[in-house]
Amino acid sequence: MEETLAIFIASTLRLAMPLMLAASGELVSERAGVLNLSLEGMMLTAAFFGALGSWATGNPFLGVGYAILAALAVAAVQAWLSVNLRANQLVVGIGFNILALGATTLLYRIIFGGLSREEIPGLPKLAVPGLSDLPFAGTAFFQQSVIVYFGFALILLIWWMLNQTSFGLAVRAVGDEPKSADKAGIPVARTRWLAVLITGAMAGMAGAFISIADIHTFTENMTNGAGYLALAAVIFGGWNIGRTIAACLLFGAATALQFQLPAMGINVPTAFLLMLPYLLALLAVAGVVGRLDPPTALTLPFQRGK
Amino acid sequence: MTTLVMTMPDRRRLMALSIPFAAVVGSMAVGLLLIAVSGKSVPDAIEAFLDGAFGTAFAFGASINRAVALALIGLGFILAARANLTNVGGEGQIAVGGIAATALALWAPVAGLPLGLAVIVPLLAGTLAGAVWGGIAGVMKVRFGTNEVISTLLLGFVALLMVYWCVQSTALLRQPQTSSSTLPESLPIPDATKLPGLTGDPESPLHIGLGICLLLALATAIVLQRSTFGLRLRAIGLNELAARRAGMPGSILLVVALGIAGAFGGLTGAIMLQGEQFYLKAGFSSGYGFDGLVVGLLSRGSTLGVLAGALFFGFLRSGGISMEIMAGVPSALTLVIQGLIVIAVAGSVILVEKLEGGQR
Repeated sequence: MEETLAIFIASTLRLAMPLMLAASGELVSERAGVLNLSLEGMMLTAAFFGALGSWATGNPFLGVGYAILAALAVAAVQAWLSVNLRANQLVVGIGFNILALGATTLLYRIIFGGLSREEIPGLPKLAVPGLSDLPFAGTAFFQQSVIVYFGFALILLIWWMLNQTSFGLAVRAVGDEPKSADKAGIPVARTRWLAVLITGAMAGMAGAFISIADIHTFTENMTNGAGYLALAAVIFGGWNIGRTIAACLLFGAATALQFQLPAMGINVPTAFLLMLPYLLALLAVAGVVGRLDPPTALTLPFQRGK
Repeated sequence: MTTLVMTMPDRRRLMALSIPFAAVVGSMAVGLLLIAVSGKSVPDAIEAFLDGAFGTAFAFGASINRAVALALIGLGFILAARANLTNVGGEGQIAVGGIAATALALWAPVAGLPLGLAVIVPLLAGTLAGAVWGGIAGVMKVRFGTNEVISTLLLGFVALLMVYWCVQSTALLRQPQTSSSTLPESLPIPDATKLPGLTGDPESPLHIGLGICLLLALATAIVLQRSTFGLRLRAIGLNELAARRAGMPGSILLVVALGIAGAFGGLTGAIMLQGEQFYLKAGFSSGYGFDGLVVGLLSRGSTLGVLAGALFFGFLRSGGISMEIMAGVPSALTLVIQGLIVIAVAGSVILVEKLEGGQR
C-alpha cells in the first residue's frame, strides 16, 4: 500500500510537471494582460523541436535548448500580433494551435518518415544521493527526471519575480491598469512582450519535458490538450501562483489515478477521470470555489490615448 | 454593420474584402512551397488535390457534405458574434449533438416512426442537446459573469470526453462486446434514421443536409438583417448597458444567442452522424467545430461569407485527404494552410479598420 502511494505521488509529479511549467509561465503573461490560447501550440512546437534537436545532436540537453528556442519563436509572433498589431488574442491563439498541429505533423512525417517511433536520447533520471534511498519519500520524490528538480526551481523563480521584483510589479500594473501604468512611465508594450516571452520559454520547457524527459520520442499531437489544461489551471488557481500550482497537481493526480485505480482493483471510468480537470475548472470559472478576480485588462490590447 | 459597410466607398470596401483573399492565396502558396521542399511532385499533388475535391461525383458530394458541417457551425458562430459573443465550443456542441442523435436513432421505437419522423427525431434531439450545451455557457455568463470563450472551450473538452465515455461503456452506447476485438464504437444506426440522399445517384454521398443548411443560411441572413431579434443582438453586442437601459432583456438574449449557436453545433453533429458516419466513435467531431469557427471568423459576420468559406474549407479538406492518399503529401498540410490564414486575417485587423475609415 505504502509502495503504491509512493508510486502514485511520483507519477502525479511527473504528469503535473509539464502543466506546472506551462501554467506558471502563462500566469506571467496573463497577469500582464495577454492571454495565450496558443500555449498548446507552443508546447507542441517545443515537444517536436526538442525531440528533433535531441535526435539530431544526440544530446538531450541541447534538445531542451532547441525546444525553448522554438517556443520562443512562436511566443514572439504571438507577442507581436497581440501587443503591436492589437489582434484578437483568442483568434491568434486558435490559429497558432491549428498551425502548430499541422506543421509538427508535417515536419515529423517529412523528417522522421520511416524512422517513426524511434527512441530519442532522453534526459536522465536523477536519483538524489542519500535521499532517493529513503523508504517512502525516495520513491515518491527523489527518483525523477533532472528537469523536475530544475522545473521546481524555475517555478520558485517565477513566484519571486512576480511578487518580489519591480518587474513583477510592472507586469501586474500593465495587466490591471495599463493606462495608469503608461502614465507612470511603465513601458506597457515592452513589459507585455517580455511577459509573453517568459510564457514561451516556460512552454518550451514544458514541451521538452513531455518529449525528451517523459516519453523519449515525438508522436503526432503528443501534447493532447495539456496546454488547455494549463490554461484551465491558471483560471482554477485564480491567477495566483500557489493555487495555480496546486491546481496542476490536482489535475496531475486525476490523470495518475486512471493508471493507479485499475491496478488497485477499483473501477472508475477512465473518461470520468480525464474529464475531472475540465469539470473542476468549469466549477472554478463559475465562481464555485470563490469569486475569481482576473487581471482587469486580460485580452485587451493597449493603445495610448484610447 | 451591413448598412455601414454599404455606405463605404466601394474601392475601400473591396480592399477590406481582399484581405481574406490575399491571406488565402498567400497561405496556399506557402502550401505549394512546402510540397516542393518536401521533395514531392507539385503537379501530382495538385492533380490529386483537384481529383479529391471535385474529380468524381463521390468526391464532389463528400466535399459539399463537409462544407455543410462547416457552414452550420459558422452560421451559429456569426449569430452569437452579433451579440459580441465568441462561441469556441463548436467541437463539443457537435459531440453532444452526435451523442443525442445516436441515442435516439438506436432507440428501437424511433426507427419505426412514420412520416420521416425517424430521421427528424434524432436531428431534433441533436439540436436540442447542442442548444443546452451552448445555453449552459450563456447561463454561466449571465449568472456568474464567466467569459464564454473559457466556458465553451472547457465544455467542449467535457463533451469530447463524454463521447469517449459513451463508446467505451456498453451500459451507454457501446455496441455489445461479442469478442475482445469489438471496437469501442456504437452500433450503426438503422437505415430508416439515415438522411435521405439528395440525388438519385447512389454513387453520390450528397444528402438533404445541404438543403437544411441553405434554408438555415437564408433564415440566418433574414434574422440578422431584417428582424428585431437581430437588431437586439447587435444592440447588446455594441453596448450591453445601453441596450438594457433601453429595456431589452439583456441576460435572456445572451443565453438565447449562445443557445442558438449551440443548437447549430448540435444539429451539425446529428447531420454528420445520420448523413455520413452512421455510428458514434471517439473523435467523432474530427475538428469540424474548430474549422467551422475559423469559417465564422473569416466571414466577418456575413452569411454569404460563411457559405463561401465553408465551401473553400470543405474542398480543402477533401483535397488534402486525397493528396495524402494519392501523392503522399501529409494532409496536415491543410492544417498549416488554415492556421496561416487565421493568423494572417487576425493580424490584419488594424489594416482593415484603417481601410474602412474608422467607421466601426
